Amino acid sequence: MDRFKLRKAEPKDVPDILRLIKELAKYEDMEDQVILTEKDLLEDGFGDHPFYHCIVAEVPSEKQSNNGPVVIGFAMYYFTYDPWIGKLLYLEDFFVMEEYRGFGIGSEILKLLSHTAVKTRCSSMHFIVAEGNQASIEFYKRRGAADLSLEEGWRLFKIDKSSLLKMSSGPEE
Amino acid sequence: MHFKVRAAAKEDCKDISRMIMELAVYENMPDQVKTSHEDLERDGFSPNPFYECLIAEVPDEHKTKDGYTVVGYALYFYTYSTWKGRSVYMEDLYVMPDFRGKGIGTGLMAKVAQVGFMFHCMADPNWNSSIYLPCSLVGVEKQCVRLQLSVLDWNKPSLDFYIAKGAEDLTAKEGWHFLRFHGQTLDTLAKEAPKD
Repeated sequence: MDRFKLRKAEPKDVPDILRLIKELAKYEDMEDQVILTEKDLLEDGFGDHPFYHCIVAEVPSEKQSNNGPVVIGFAMYYFTYDPWIGKLLYLEDFFVMEEYRGFGIGSEILKLLSHTAVKTRCSSMHFIVAEGNQASIEFYKRRGAADLSLEEGWRLFKIDKSSLLKMSSGPEE
Repeated sequence: MHFKVRAAAKEDCKDISRMIMELAVYENMPDQVKTSHEDLERDGFSPNPFYECLIAEVPDEHKTKDGYTVVGYALYFYTYSTWKGRSVYMEDLYVMPDFRGKGIGTGLMAKVAQVGFMFHCMADPNWNSSIYLPCSLVGVEKQCVRLQLSVLDWNKPSLDFYIAKGAEDLTAKEGWHFLRFHGQTLDTLAKEAPKD
């Protein structure tokens, strides 16, 4: 695997991005949780106000086996804010199809993301990983990532729709 | 005690900066704060802001011994879940110690939840933008936002506060850990990036 290309995603990549989102969710045993559609991805990523940015990895069609897809990996990110250190790049999803792993594609994506972070004045690149996903944790740790949950005790919480509704329709002050 | 929750203005950044430091002291990490109020002004009040902020203020007769009437804040931004779409992430929620237990934290968080609903609905072209009150959303079949936040594992008062409001610990339930590339490790990776 010596020829692959990384580029910014375009609207035409949306079907491939959704396919890879679902493959990643399946890898994390959470496939049924993906409710996003191609229409959502198109509006949210390529409209007037993008909510995310995306890099895709593609291989030339003659390198595919079984006429498989050309886009074989992606990374989705956006910018967040840490009141202590300022702007951050948040890596939401990062995935390379199984048969294309081990060729350095993931490494190159991570380097490009880091370069983007530095170029856009971000102090840090943050992301979450499930503790059962040892392969990914090792991948990141080999490259110098720190586990803030272990080192500092941060725990991720969510508050879902019904609880938010209860809170937002509470008494006015 | 009467209090008001409102959107922060640029002039509030000095107070926000003060409270960011107070929260960092509470979390035992004051030396990690590198931002100044000028950074907050630039990053939150330019045409393309990276965060939004609500502040809680009390009337003059309840001001602190140092003369502050701004006694709490919630700093949040919009994120994107590849599973569910647009979400809100509440990065900081803080109320000064003497003003806790009076519903201010709850009031701030309720407004963040409201903002999340309004934002999501206003972004939908089928939604009537003249409908402003979030209580109108009750009963409407809409995919509403989800709010995410993080808490330190030893911070029991905060853990109890959020769990009472319906928060679920995803680190415990699903094993999610926060990781980061920071400082030198980020620079090292960046230098090896493929050239354009």
